[in-house]
Amino acid sequence: MKIKLLVIFACCLWVPHLQAADKIEVVASNSTLASIAGAITGDRADIYCVAAPNRDLHFIEPTPKDVMKLKDSDVFIHAGLDLEAWRGPLLNAVGRLNLMWPAGERQIDASRGIFLLEVPETLSRAEGDIHAYGNPHYWTDPENAKIMARNIAERLGELYPEDKEQFLRNAETFNQKIDAKLAIWQKQMAPFQGAPVVVYHNSWPYFIRRFGLRLVGELEPKPGIPPTAKHLDGLVKMMKEKSVKIIITEPYREKRTPERVAKETGARVVTFTQSVGAFPQARDYFSMLDYDIGLLEEALGLPEGETR
Amino acid sequence: MRILLIVFICFTVFSLDSLPARASEENMFQSLQQNVLDLQRTIQSLQQTVQSQDAVLRQQAIQIEGLQKKWEGVSPRPQAGTSALPAEVPKRTGGFNPDIGMAGTVQAKLTQSKEDGEGNDTIAMKELELNIGQAVDPYSRADATLAFNDDLEPQNVYIEEAYYTRWGLPLGFTGQVGKFRANIGKQNLLHGHELATGNYPLVIRNFFGEEGLAASGARLRNDIPNPWALPLEVTGEVLRGNNGPSFSGVSRRPIFNTHLKTFFESSDNTNLELGWTTMFGDENPPLRIENDDGTITTEARPEGTDRFGVKVFGADATFNWFLPEGKKIKLQNEIYFQNRTKLVHANSDPWGFYSQLDYRFSPKFSAGIRFDYLNPLDVAGGHGSTEVSPYLIFWQSEYADLKLQYSYTNHAGENEKIDNAVYITVDFLLGAHSHAIQ
Repeated sequence: MKIKLLVIFACCLWVPHLQAADKIEVVASNSTLASIAGAITGDRADIYCVAAPNRDLHFIEPTPKDVMKLKDSDVFIHAGLDLEAWRGPLLNAVGRLNLMWPAGERQIDASRGIFLLEVPETLSRAEGDIHAYGNPHYWTDPENAKIMARNIAERLGELYPEDKEQFLRNAETFNQKIDAKLAIWQKQMAPFQGAPVVVYHNSWPYFIRRFGLRLVGELEPKPGIPPTAKHLDGLVKMMKEKSVKIIITEPYREKRTPERVAKETGARVVTFTQSVGAFPQARDYFSMLDYDIGLLEEALGLPEGETR
Repeated sequence: MRILLIVFICFTVFSLDSLPARASEENMFQSLQQNVLDLQRTIQSLQQTVQSQDAVLRQQAIQIEGLQKKWEGVSPRPQAGTSALPAEVPKRTGGFNPDIGMAGTVQAKLTQSKEDGEGNDTIAMKELELNIGQAVDPYSRADATLAFNDDLEPQNVYIEEAYYTRWGLPLGFTGQVGKFRANIGKQNLLHGHELATGNYPLVIRNFFGEEGLAASGARLRNDIPNPWALPLEVTGEVLRGNNGPSFSGVSRRPIFNTHLKTFFESSDNTNLELGWTTMFGDENPPLRIENDDGTITTEARPEGTDRFGVKVFGADATFNWFLPEGKKIKLQNEIYFQNRTKLVHANSDPWGFYSQLDYRFSPKFSAGIRFDYLNPLDVAGGHGSTEVSPYLIFWQSEYADLKLQYSYTNHAGENEKIDNAVYITVDFLLGAHSHAIQ
């Protein structure tokens, strides 16, 4: 009798898993991927995101909940490359062979086919926290978002042939919207062509290139190395010489250093995000770039010394 | 009068003559003005055209560059399905070599104690870890940490961890065999350089050894499904019994360990992890005596034998609070109780706990304090040991840090004494390095 009760109890424990089986359980490594995946899958999938949007993607600490979600997932969508260094230990903890990168058939690498910038010729930590494959912040270029959408739709279509057409149609709609928005964003940015900018961390080369800005320096002396007084002194001098008006930072970075540099140079600090959901205004991929470009447009148009 | 008339006529004639000229000049001026405005509009229109052409050209340049690079095969980025794992990029000459990394910990310790305790009043290469890991085949991987040290003892090398992981066992279990750090609470799982402090908490040092408990054995791990979608992870281990001061020290007397873990997210920026540890082991097995003729006999110890006479129960709680600007507060607590016979150690109910508060307040610095209490294995009765350890960490980069720690210790026992110690620790990482999720 006791054994029967135990079996019944165990069956009850599995019931929620059976009930959820009609939807595709997708886990995305970051919120921007989750947003793009959501645009492609629509109501067909439930999407869970590992990295909270207001935290640095380099240093996410996966939790037991992330492990559990990934164990129960149907598909894992990630950014590929080596930005999400925590992805390997997470997948090791999950232990699902079909989710492992690169061979797992239920993982989708969104970076496939993207032309990467800043691929290092030699690998040395003397150059800081550089990335072996190239700069991994590729989704800040809307043209790359189109490739990501196609990657996700095509692979999902292979995994779920009955939904393939819908996924591809949704990806096409997403990409058409990107084209339409890109024309607007480029028009917005047209007056600021060649404007010199300084960034806190080198996470915006794709954005800068797409919209015709000019990167002239970083607050970090080398990628991932905290700013030093000596480096900042040199940077301030250079910014004054080149009349740099903008310092781009992110919400998870300390504010004191960029504000200090801004005060000494008359530049303006703008807090961009490349993670959907980091700010209430950045609800999806489009509103995220709307937010960033709007900030830049306003800051470059504001009277000197005024910050937003 | 005539003269006046002539002057009037002349003035009138000249005036009438100048009117058309003035009108003509005004017309010409207006025409010119219109022309200038037209030209301005044309220039503006041309500027806009040039700007839009610039954007098109830039976009085309990016595409051309991308195509050229791809054509030339310059980009070393591997395509999914054919590439290696991230840590073993991009040197294809490395082939199938495993990820190799090194973690070094150099520690200087100044102490009031006159004992030749580990690293007292000296500087030592406390530990140099050589980490090697890689997928073995599509189903498994192997990881090893070989530790070299130049501390009190003559230089030595030992296997800190070396284990084989097999995923995808029936019912979703993950299995590990080899030598590994036992899944006890939180800090026992960490390697020395991962600690925020220069040493392990007092209770871990006393119950499981100066560097915690690592032993050969086998481990199974899985999640327990439940209707509340609550992360509930269970780990079971059978470990060789020759490690850890609390246990027999005899290999054939295994230690059985289970750890249960759960996790709650109270908000977007706070979470709480709770764990429970249960261990059973032998305290004092029969003596094995090798006779002159090579035979082995066993004799019960005069003080008696007790199978599974050691029971250890522990609880751990870790609270994380993620603050704006990348700041973070972590409060971690572990408590352990033992219920054991008094055959080897004097205390049948030793127990202890620590509570540690850590605050990462800038990219470069973090600070914290750990409070330890211990009712040790060998001291029965009286008050326990207490230790207070404030510390400051300078994070030079992700790969190098400097730790400064002061510890005030009030030891328990007959030789009750107070000790003040200062630890200065330098950690550095080289090559591929990653830590298992705890």
